[in-house]
Amino acid sequence: MRLATLVAVVTTMVVAAWLVWRWDALPDTWSDEGIAILQSLSLESLPPLPPDPTNAVADDPRAVEFGRRLFFDTRFSANGAISCATCHQPERRFTDGLPKGVAIGVSKRNTPSIVGTPYSPWFYWDGRRDSLWAQALSPLEDPNEHASNRLTIIAIIVDDRDYWRMYKALFGEASGVDTMFSNIGKALAAFERTIMPTSSRFDAYVAAVVAGNEARQAELFSEEEIRGLRLFIGEANCTQCHNGPLFTNNEFHNTGLISLEGEVPDKGRVAGVREALADPFNCRGAHSDDPGRNCPELEFTRTGPELIGAFRTPSLRNLENTAPYGHKGQIATLADMLLHYNEAPDAMIGHNEAKPLNLSRRELEHLEAFLSTLAAPLPDYVGGEEAEESIVTTSSL
Amino acid sequence: MIGRLITLALSMFLAFAPQLADAHGGVVEEDDICVIKVNYLRAHFKIYQPRESGHEQFCEDLPVAGESVFVMEYMHDALQSMPIEFRIIKNVTGKGRFARMEHVAAIDDLEAVTVFYSEPVQEPDVYTLTHTFTEEGDFIGIVAARNPETGALYAAVFPFEVGFTGWGYWPLILGLLVLTHILYLAMSGRFRRWFKSPTPAALVLCAALLQASPAAHADEFVVTFSTLDGPPQINRMHSWILHVETTAGEPVEGAVIEVDGGMPAHNHGLPTRPRVTEELGGGDYRLDGIRFHMSGYWEMVISIETDASEGTVVVSLTL
Repeated sequence: MRLATLVAVVTTMVVAAWLVWRWDALPDTWSDEGIAILQSLSLESLPPLPPDPTNAVADDPRAVEFGRRLFFDTRFSANGAISCATCHQPERRFTDGLPKGVAIGVSKRNTPSIVGTPYSPWFYWDGRRDSLWAQALSPLEDPNEHASNRLTIIAIIVDDRDYWRMYKALFGEASGVDTMFSNIGKALAAFERTIMPTSSRFDAYVAAVVAGNEARQAELFSEEEIRGLRLFIGEANCTQCHNGPLFTNNEFHNTGLISLEGEVPDKGRVAGVREALADPFNCRGAHSDDPGRNCPELEFTRTGPELIGAFRTPSLRNLENTAPYGHKGQIATLADMLLHYNEAPDAMIGHNEAKPLNLSRRELEHLEAFLSTLAAPLPDYVGGEEAEESIVTTSSL
Repeated sequence: MIGRLITLALSMFLAFAPQLADAHGGVVEEDDICVIKVNYLRAHFKIYQPRESGHEQFCEDLPVAGESVFVMEYMHDALQSMPIEFRIIKNVTGKGRFARMEHVAAIDDLEAVTVFYSEPVQEPDVYTLTHTFTEEGDFIGIVAARNPETGALYAAVFPFEVGFTGWGYWPLILGLLVLTHILYLAMSGRFRRWFKSPTPAALVLCAALLQASPAAHADEFVVTFSTLDGPPQINRMHSWILHVETTAGEPVEGAVIEVDGGMPAHNHGLPTRPRVTEELGGGDYRLDGIRFHMSGYWEMVISIETDASEGTVVVSLTL
């Protein structure tokens, strides 16, 4: 009798332990639907960069070269020490590692990466510009960034023999100030259009999943990372906004981030869209190269109070190398950002679109582990290889 | 005897309660929402102390001195076009929480007691400002908005405390008193006597109201859609052909169609404003500028108006 009781107890415990283990076990394979989602996130799915009809030199290699030189030139600033690359540093994935950009003064928001942004219909955290070239113009005259002005900038180009030759080959003789200024933006945009993300460990994992190569999958991803990935595309709802091969829908969402110390909450897109619609350099403006002025983004864009406190979804590629996070760089670490999403507190202005996730601490760690698989080598861009070599040379000296 | 004492204590509390409830000046709580009334213009009012309390909202009294962010979300569109002025003064009226406009108006030198002043500024979307209180104490907030067309000035005055200590244990003690009193009433059988005569008249009225409400609105129209460039994909602007028929199967022509939509689960609308750009005939309409930016369940709300009738049809899709 006693033995029977003992056997019953032990059996129950073994069954219970097995159930608990199975409960938490990972499925062995991905479903077809899961594979389709993984593929949609892979860099392999990135379509060719769509043309920009508003910029006639967008894909002209001469403009790319001209723009590249302008991008790294510090003469286009009030103190002669600031270039685009001061804040958009290639080795930091075109960000600067600071909460807010520091140039002549302190800029309004966190420096966003440029990698992959040519795919977005809107630029800046609040989408206040509707083309890469219109965007490239504003920092040059922003008193906290380059603090220069269009006349001075044009004068520098006309006085520099190389620049003036390159300019004339692309745009012809001197013309109106605003036209010449917009042409400078178009050359900068042509260069920025070449800045593309490189393949990450995640992309290699997706390739291994698609190929059905289980050994390679196990080699590439740890169990934590797979669990994190399953959460990312499932329960944690990340792909609601961070979708597609760039992990962004390039749209505007209020995620209820807290205001930065000493500042009122940032109004975001609601003000940005107003500015984009009024920008003289926008798609409908006199300097667009699209004769038909076909501007569906401006024509069909949404305005109004729903966009209060909404900001453009940032790409998650290379997340590890682009801290701090948030439109004001309010969040120092990925773990803190995940905690924020887990709680999804009420927004200070507007409403937080995210809902509390209520994930466990371990699950958040898994998500963080997965996000680290999106780290990748330095982005591809024209002139990037030479620059990388020089970085290597400098550091080895 | 104990019951009587409790009743006495309660009635004494109630005698003071109206003053407590009225102590907010221009800021009042309505359905758990804090509202500021600038004359007839209303705005959702909230204050944050992000460094101390994170996302916690305060209606007026603030727990500590320090950085405070004031937010007014307009409930009345007129405020969008009005320059709004905001002033915080030390409460020197001697009226404490019962200070009113007339008491503020009686202050000789407003500047001398002002701790914060923000020039009139037009904020089209939401009004925000931040002030760092360097000391605790009694303050008065003064919000003024001027109608740019008529020149009329609307103002709200609300006294508030910084370093508010809360009511301490008083609500708990009062709660216990109320509970004890209810228990006493229950045990003494008084509840039973009250509920012995139910009022069937009220039930009849409810039934009548239910019957009077209109029947569920029957759709006048049937709408189907097809897309021009393959099935809808997220993050791509595309166009639809809407086909509108009556429930009898007749194509609807010459209708005025408006389209809106969104994701009910996320409480947001479409990222774009799609528009019917062309009537193609035979009940077909071209709808341009559609983009879905998230996967999941979407609803498109299509309002149709013809000379004869109007109706709304909801088309749902999951991406």
